[in-house]
Amino acid sequence: MDRINKNRRKFFQTSVALVGGTIFYSLIKPFEAIAKETTIEKNVDKPLWGMGVDIEKCIGCGKCTAACKTENKVPEVPFYFRTWVEQYTVKNDGTVKIESPNGGIDGLVQSVPDEDIFKSFMVPKLCNHCSNAPCVQACPVGATFVSPDGVVLVDETYCIGCRYCIQACPYGARYIDPIKKVVDKCTFCYHRINEGLQPACVEVCPTDARIFGDLRDKKSKLVKFLQKNQTQVLKPHLNTHSKVFYNGLSSEVK
Amino acid sequence: MEEHYQHLYELLSQVDGYIYPNEIEMNWGLMIVLYPYITGLVAGAFILASLERVFNVKVLKPTYELALLTALSFLFVATLPLVSHLTQPLSAYRILITPNPTSAMAIFGFVYLWYLMVVLLLEIWFDYRRDFVIWSKSSIGFKKFFYKIITLGINDTDEKSAKRDDKLGYFITLIGIPSAFLLHGYVGFIFGSIKANPWWSTVLMPVIFLFSAMVSGIALVMVIYMIVSWVRKVKIDMPCLDTIAKYLFYILIVDFALESLDQIHRFYEAEESFDIIKVLVNGKLNITLLVFQVVIGTIIPLSVLGLFQVYKPSEIIRKISYFMTGLMVLFGIFFMRWNVVLGGQLFSKSFSGFTNYKINIFGMEGTLMAAIWMILPCLILAFLLWLMPPWKKTPFPS
Amino acid sequence: MAKLIFRLLLSFIVFVGIFLVIQDYLTPESFGKYGHYRANAIEDNKLDIPQFKGEEKCASCHEDIYDLKSETVSIDDDEYILHSNLRCETCHTPKIDANTECKVKPPKLESTRKMCAQCHFLNAARKNKIKMIDLTDHNEDKNCIECHNPHKPWIE
Repeated sequence: MDRINKNRRKFFQTSVALVGGTIFYSLIKPFEAIAKETTIEKNVDKPLWGMGVDIEKCIGCGKCTAACKTENKVPEVPFYFRTWVEQYTVKNDGTVKIESPNGGIDGLVQSVPDEDIFKSFMVPKLCNHCSNAPCVQACPVGATFVSPDGVVLVDETYCIGCRYCIQACPYGARYIDPIKKVVDKCTFCYHRINEGLQPACVEVCPTDARIFGDLRDKKSKLVKFLQKNQTQVLKPHLNTHSKVFYNGLSSEVK
Repeated sequence: MEEHYQHLYELLSQVDGYIYPNEIEMNWGLMIVLYPYITGLVAGAFILASLERVFNVKVLKPTYELALLTALSFLFVATLPLVSHLTQPLSAYRILITPNPTSAMAIFGFVYLWYLMVVLLLEIWFDYRRDFVIWSKSSIGFKKFFYKIITLGINDTDEKSAKRDDKLGYFITLIGIPSAFLLHGYVGFIFGSIKANPWWSTVLMPVIFLFSAMVSGIALVMVIYMIVSWVRKVKIDMPCLDTIAKYLFYILIVDFALESLDQIHRFYEAEESFDIIKVLVNGKLNITLLVFQVVIGTIIPLSVLGLFQVYKPSEIIRKISYFMTGLMVLFGIFFMRWNVVLGGQLFSKSFSGFTNYKINIFGMEGTLMAAIWMILPCLILAFLLWLMPPWKKTPFPS
Repeated sequence: MAKLIFRLLLSFIVFVGIFLVIQDYLTPESFGKYGHYRANAIEDNKLDIPQFKGEEKCASCHEDIYDLKSETVSIDDDEYILHSNLRCETCHTPKIDANTECKVKPPKLESTRKMCAQCHFLNAARKNKIKMIDLTDHNEDKNCIECHNPHKPWIE
């Protein structure tokens, strides 16, 4: 009898210690970061990926859109794009026509007769990999994030498909993958850039209208591009700190 | 899958102007319309109940418990449309496990639990505890079993314990009012904080949601009170009904003023997005906004209720008018949610074109599912009224 | 009264406690290491195998074609780059599943006028960027490759 009691007491003590310990740990866990402050890496030795887009060079062939779909197994139907190309045509009467049939995948075709055109240009679009990303801010579970090297990624094993990030993205860069049933977006071809390759869209661009590189590397092609040109980001008033920089961006572009 | 693509091809053919290619599929449908609607009914019904309790509007006594039980029934269902619209509904628990502190949506689970567990259940429990003890002695079967369990072993029925329940219930209601404000103001913030969408992104959004919630909740309790009275074949307490209508009138004025202010501000400032919003309001939202929400949901109820403040026709006319205006307000607020949620997605974030929304009958986002989510709380309410009828409560001797 | 409040508070604390234990148990491994996300998701995103292999890979077997493609032409002191700056896979989109050798399913092209038109067709936005051809009246019954070698498109 005595032994049973003793055993029981021991069992209770252990349980209480275990449960109490876990609770205590859970309580202090959110404050872990404060204690660790000094050890957090500043990531200075890591690259900070970004992209330059030269509108003056883009010819709207749509090779980037096609290559992206092949490389990243994006469904072939015209509703899902990690990158696409828009053609802007400013007419003589001042109106602006924007087109991107099937994301421009078969090459953009001018639909406005030459005599009505004031000017026309192509604008490749993709995820802007914002440092201050509204989608990351909005995700309720932490399934999308800015990686230490500056790429906005999706954790597809953790996304619950609430689509709040799609609503929060000002650039329309996100969609629900109809097969995986989670959100999907441009990753700068994260699997490629970590092997030293270029993103697929950059690799295939025939006119070098896309420049990919490390914003921290002063000798990179991207930094040279930013130094040489007057670049602009999309929707700067939203303060998203975009890392996709456009050269020759016209005010008609939205 | 093929069917889904077929649906999207059809939408693609209806695109007007230029939209980003990923925007053809509308991501938030009918379920997300229901979510703020149902949550709003909860908050509104609760606030009506607290009018009696905290602000001491004794004439509302006949609807006090009814309002609480209505709030509870709808609160049980509030998260279901939200969960059913997820593409990974079984992973919904992650919102509670790793809530992102910067996400407006992540905190909903906690606000909801706080409101359900701490505010509503406790308030109802304090209100009914004494009756549970009394009823547990006089009933049999399931009811007896339920009453026994729910008293949690506290069996005092004397006056002292009744006073204590009353005091604690009052305290909970005091916590409850800011909680109800939080619950629904917060739902407004989910939309109001999306800077990418100019139709949603307004600082007034939480306040507008809050007042429209009160309007819809009060209208709902008014309608339910009348239905319950007819079913029970008892006389409707006219002073009570008149008072509810009076509050409905006042809050409807505030709600209408706020919404007008928001739109006037938007139109007057005429920012970058104004051109597309103008087309949206005059085009795709024409009927749901101007006719359903403004005329049927606001102007007509306002005129009827306003008229009754100065001129009181016979009881029977008032009853019918209250019933009709209640339904119209509920209809109008539903379309207010509709216009916010769907309206905000109809135009492209490129501000250069529109997509279309086609409502389905079947499927997770269909009207049938929506009807289920609206009928379910009514069934829960009927069950609760059977289980704990407010009219069988032993009056507190004081 | 004290007893009642104590019981309620206790059940509240127990509830919160149980919740915290479950939360701790269900939080995935590596969550929160760098920020509010699963740090291992960074590695997960690297797992895909590149489909586009880069032109060094192509040149390792097809050096002759690579050299031909890389030639430029100078006329009147102006250097014309032709297709020399195109990467092989710009046109030869890989057809293979990246795991297998490209020899199993070589990225052969069926050259069509439409394919050349994708870049070269008249378009106001291509002015001064690329040689534009009006394919509606430029030898409309011929395939482009009958006259132009795509690896050296200039006709001397």
